[in-house]
Amino acid sequence: MSTRRCCRPRANSRFMSARRSAGRLLPAPENFIPDSLLEEISDHGLDASRRDFLRKSFVAASATLASGAALAAPDHPAADGDMAILQPSVHATRLGYPVAHTPYGLPSKHEANLQRRESPGLTRKRESSISFTPLQGLFGIITPSGLHFERHHAGWHDIDPRDHRLMINGLVSTAKVYTMAELMRLPSVSRMHFIECGANSAMDWASPAVPSVQYTHGMLSCCEFTGVPLSLLLEDCGIDKGKAKWVLAEGNDGASLTRSIPIERALDDAIVAWGMNGEMLRPENGYPLRLVVPGLQGVCWVKWLRRLEVGDAPFGTREESTQYLDLMPDGVQRQYTVIQECKSVITAPSGGQRLLDKGFYSITGLAWSGRGKITRVDVSVDAGRNWKTARLESPVLPKCLTRFNLDWEWDGKPYILQSRAIDETGHAQPKIAELRAVRGKRSVYHNNAIQSWQVSAAGEVMNVQIS
Amino acid sequence: MYKSPDRVRVIFAWIWGALLLVSISTAHAEKFAGIGRKATNHEIAAWDIDVRPDFQGLPRGSGSVAQGEKIWVAKCASCHGEFAESPSVFPPLVGGTTKADIERGRVAGLSAASENSKTTMMKLATVSTLFDYIQRAMPFDAPKSLKVDEVYAVTAFMLNLADLVPADYVLNEKNIAEVQRRLPNRDGNTIAHGMLEVRGKPDVSGKDCMRDCPVDTNTMLVLPSSVNGLNGNLADQNRPYGSIRGIETRRAP
Repeated sequence: MSTRRCCRPRANSRFMSARRSAGRLLPAPENFIPDSLLEEISDHGLDASRRDFLRKSFVAASATLASGAALAAPDHPAADGDMAILQPSVHATRLGYPVAHTPYGLPSKHEANLQRRESPGLTRKRESSISFTPLQGLFGIITPSGLHFERHHAGWHDIDPRDHRLMINGLVSTAKVYTMAELMRLPSVSRMHFIECGANSAMDWASPAVPSVQYTHGMLSCCEFTGVPLSLLLEDCGIDKGKAKWVLAEGNDGASLTRSIPIERALDDAIVAWGMNGEMLRPENGYPLRLVVPGLQGVCWVKWLRRLEVGDAPFGTREESTQYLDLMPDGVQRQYTVIQECKSVITAPSGGQRLLDKGFYSITGLAWSGRGKITRVDVSVDAGRNWKTARLESPVLPKCLTRFNLDWEWDGKPYILQSRAIDETGHAQPKIAELRAVRGKRSVYHNNAIQSWQVSAAGEVMNVQIS
Repeated sequence: MYKSPDRVRVIFAWIWGALLLVSISTAHAEKFAGIGRKATNHEIAAWDIDVRPDFQGLPRGSGSVAQGEKIWVAKCASCHGEFAESPSVFPPLVGGTTKADIERGRVAGLSAASENSKTTMMKLATVSTLFDYIQRAMPFDAPKSLKVDEVYAVTAFMLNLADLVPADYVLNEKNIAEVQRRLPNRDGNTIAHGMLEVRGKPDVSGKDCMRDCPVDTNTMLVLPSSVNGLNGNLADQNRPYGSIRGIETRRAP
């Protein structure tokens, strides 16, 4: 698929070489050949039926030119109707591809713009770096597995599950080793949860620094995870509940990344997971085994999980002793700031996007809380002066993304859009100025501030911050 | 000695009872028959290499500053700089700490008044962390390739660069606690905050005001135009159809 994609004429870029007229983007008049036909020709060559189709298209386009209706938008009807309806569809008039043509299905080639992307200047080593989820184009609450954000500390591996082991040791009556086959025989649960890096929205702590929701909020994903409850495994090894206070989780990557998990979280809803969105975890997300610790920052969800050690004190690992510390203005560092607090963001319209038309839009976005369920999301279009309560789409689950929508009619005037989530503990998402008043401007982690998107009269949306 | 049949029966009953108890307790421990097995001591030793702040898990060994310097030059300096000060690949490791910090146990350079960049040695509250991380994750492209004595040596060299131990120091499992008592930021951390527990209290909570809420748009901060295009062309990062598109942010050639 990828080679075909690379060798195709860039029909989309022709479409994008458009000009603005009467408040609407219009295609150049010479664009009479539908994108789909261009791609068919590029794939299969110009056979008789396609040649015939091309001839008809040219006649139709010439007629349109002659009638002076060439400025009509492609998805708006010409005088006698929409060419997408009036012309015979290339898809409806010939055979399509056979079954299993793509044994593992891929997204449409028309969706290629939505990809995980890096943000420049964050790290110098791509093995210890981040790629962001394209939230601006996603629907509902589930992140497609191939678009789940990445954060690796020493690169990722594709581990043969036959070679993978999980060891549990420390304050247990029997230190045990499990194979993947053994783990997958145990009683499993499947639950949907969000995962957010503690450093999500870090680049905007001091001021707006990145242009789109992919980079402001894209270290956020939400999947259905399948695995065995961690509490079941700890009990299977005979955990010493009297002494156990922390559980160390360790990965099988080069960093052997370790993180201490508070025992309350470990025994509550944590899962030792192999499944993600109905299939095995993707290698970038910890295949074949990762820890799922709902509500806790992403670094606690140790990937390629190989060992759990029960202890009576935290382990003081690098990822909790020199990294993932919350630096306060007085120089004190908060350690073990694991909970991801109540937060939301409008994903469309959002930064770096442009509204082409006036009229009806759904203001849509995501809300989540590491402390439980989302109970309410309010949306403002006037920079936070007045708010309307948005619709929460089902399901609304604890420690899971919740999709919200609000009907909106854009009249071509400037607006500032915001969303504000409230969770079941009653905690309302704060403003950035309120957070800075406590934590200062040099903080990195746990920015759960209200996000503001400024919509200009031209329909362009920009990342701004309102006190 | 003669035993009556009754006494023999009682003894057998005791034995049966004991066996039954054993089998019940075994069945309880193995709720999931055939799943998992006991880890061997060699397996635990192979994987359980973590070192805690109270030095649980610290292996016996020793390494000198001089040995550490040799390893550093060969395996560490290319990323971290000759003196662990380089910001070119990773954030700097050493620098920004003072004698006064060592006395106080808090690094002044971490407070808001300071514009210094934050080095690892400024942030570090537990020397075990340094040892543990070098042992498990360094060098970046060959993790776990250092022997225990080499880990001690590299740790000693870094501690010397930070003026915590003299140039002739030999670090070992016994004297590492002395170093802990000199770490510049040993009293710099707290867990007294609301983000450790689900029921913890957040620093600030927003308001749920719905009408005529106070807003200050005069202090609005906007994305600077200087970043335009740094994240690529946003038109190529949104769908190429529909009424919401990405803005063209291609940088001028």
